[in-house]
Amino acid sequence: MSTASRICQGVVCVLALSTAAAADWQPAHLPDGQPDVRGFYKPEVEGTYSLIRPARAPGIEQLEKIDQTLKAGKKLPPPENSRVVDPADGQIPYQAWARARQQETEANIEKWVKPEHIDPQARCVPGGVTRTLFWSQLEIRQYPGYVVFVFDMNHPYRVIPLDGRPHIPEKIKLWMSDSRGHWEGNTLVVDVTNSNSKHRLSNEGDFASDKVHITERYTFIDANNFKLEQRYEDPAVYTQPWTLASSFSRAHKDEPDYEWWEMECHEGEHDVEHLYQGDKSKPY
Amino acid sequence: MFGSRTALFFGRTLLASVAFAVVVGAPATVVNAQDATTASRPGLPRGTDGKPDLTGIWEALSTAEWGVEPHAARKDAPAGLGIVEGDVIPYQPWALARRDQNFAKRAKLDPLAKCFMPGVPRITYTPLPFQIFQSEKELTFLYQYAHSVRTVHANGAPHPPGHIDWWLGDSRGHWEGDTLVVDVTHFNDQTWFDRAGNFHSDALHVIERYTLIGPDHIEYRATIEDPKVFTRPWNINLVLYRHKEKNFQLLEHECYTFDYERFYP
Repeated sequence: MSTASRICQGVVCVLALSTAAAADWQPAHLPDGQPDVRGFYKPEVEGTYSLIRPARAPGIEQLEKIDQTLKAGKKLPPPENSRVVDPADGQIPYQAWARARQQETEANIEKWVKPEHIDPQARCVPGGVTRTLFWSQLEIRQYPGYVVFVFDMNHPYRVIPLDGRPHIPEKIKLWMSDSRGHWEGNTLVVDVTNSNSKHRLSNEGDFASDKVHITERYTFIDANNFKLEQRYEDPAVYTQPWTLASSFSRAHKDEPDYEWWEMECHEGEHDVEHLYQGDKSKPY
Repeated sequence: MFGSRTALFFGRTLLASVAFAVVVGAPATVVNAQDATTASRPGLPRGTDGKPDLTGIWEALSTAEWGVEPHAARKDAPAGLGIVEGDVIPYQPWALARRDQNFAKRAKLDPLAKCFMPGVPRITYTPLPFQIFQSEKELTFLYQYAHSVRTVHANGAPHPPGHIDWWLGDSRGHWEGDTLVVDVTHFNDQTWFDRAGNFHSDALHVIERYTLIGPDHIEYRATIEDPKVFTRPWNINLVLYRHKEKNFQLLEHECYTFDYERFYP
């Protein structure tokens, strides 16, 4: 319970309950002492369109509705089921300039007239540590001293060493960042730095800077479920740290022989040249 | 020499590679390709199942990327003795003509110029590191090149029915003594073996053999079959070196993003 109350003070009380449950779950352990959590998982709500309205889809009807609302000078309805759990209003606490940049991107999500409007996801770029988790499915593989995440869409991976080694030099920035992990009971805690932050956190243009520091907690509450918490600290972009939370459950539970099949993306990508409405005589 | 090798690949020099080549490449007695057999060897890292443990970060020190056949240096390539056993790929006549056309237009036609996945076996000797994780049921091969992933299933499950066009094929492994044998099939016809235009069809079938010949060296042999393109199967043979640097790790080589990442500051 002390873990639960500590988390309650620090972030959100909803997660504290699951943490308490997690303490009760007795997983099998691998020879190197790690809880055995290998397998396929999927997010509760799949999709990367929005962090604050995860169920929102970019359907034409919805976009038209949003368009009409804005044109009528009305405000959009408040977000539902935001993945942002801290601060309490469910919004990412952007500094004013950063909010303006996010809104500029969001305003152009369906009409790309400048190269920077093009969603990097459409270019098949590795989605970074947040967007990749929500895009599709995740497979956790564990080996002595390592946790390895393998993802379905566009095949990015994350190698998370557990041996306490230091992060790579700050000068090196990576699409999938640099991860260092350790286990606290049934919770995998991952310290994430070295993000190039060129990708977005959602289709709506949410972003961080390349100075961002992310602390992830993957709390395995039973044999089939884990809670994810990501705490974003980035004084260059936000007015305060903020926390994202979500649930994941086993995928392909009844298919013990399930295998990933190759999901190439870049090799067959032609969407951008068709959808880009800017000056194609210049690089984009 | 290796400085120019890396410069040609990355457009910059990487002195660490030179030092690494000198230090690791020196003990020639350890690296004797002819010694690899399926007999059990003492002194190798092994898993709890007794199999040799291939876990680690590996890289080829070879100019095969620029030509798997023996070749002199040219403006866009360092020289190399080649990795083809018998030196010559047994092309059918039409295919040899096609290879020569590919060579003439290599700067434009090489799939790696577009940062496409290199296929197998090329991804093994593309001069970037890759990491192997090993369990009894599967091996995970993670390549620094564009986050490419191969899962070598070693649980006895067969290839899925096909034909399926995949860039990296479908890999099934089993152990023959101390050698990991990986059968790879279901390829597309889009990848090359090197920058010299050597190619295959979608009938490509690769049988890879990974043999630890010391704690820090893997002998890599592969049999290449493709009855649509070659007159007979042929073999390649090279050595993979373990990265021994403290805290060495894979980074990223997302080559298709280089031209536009400036739009995302």
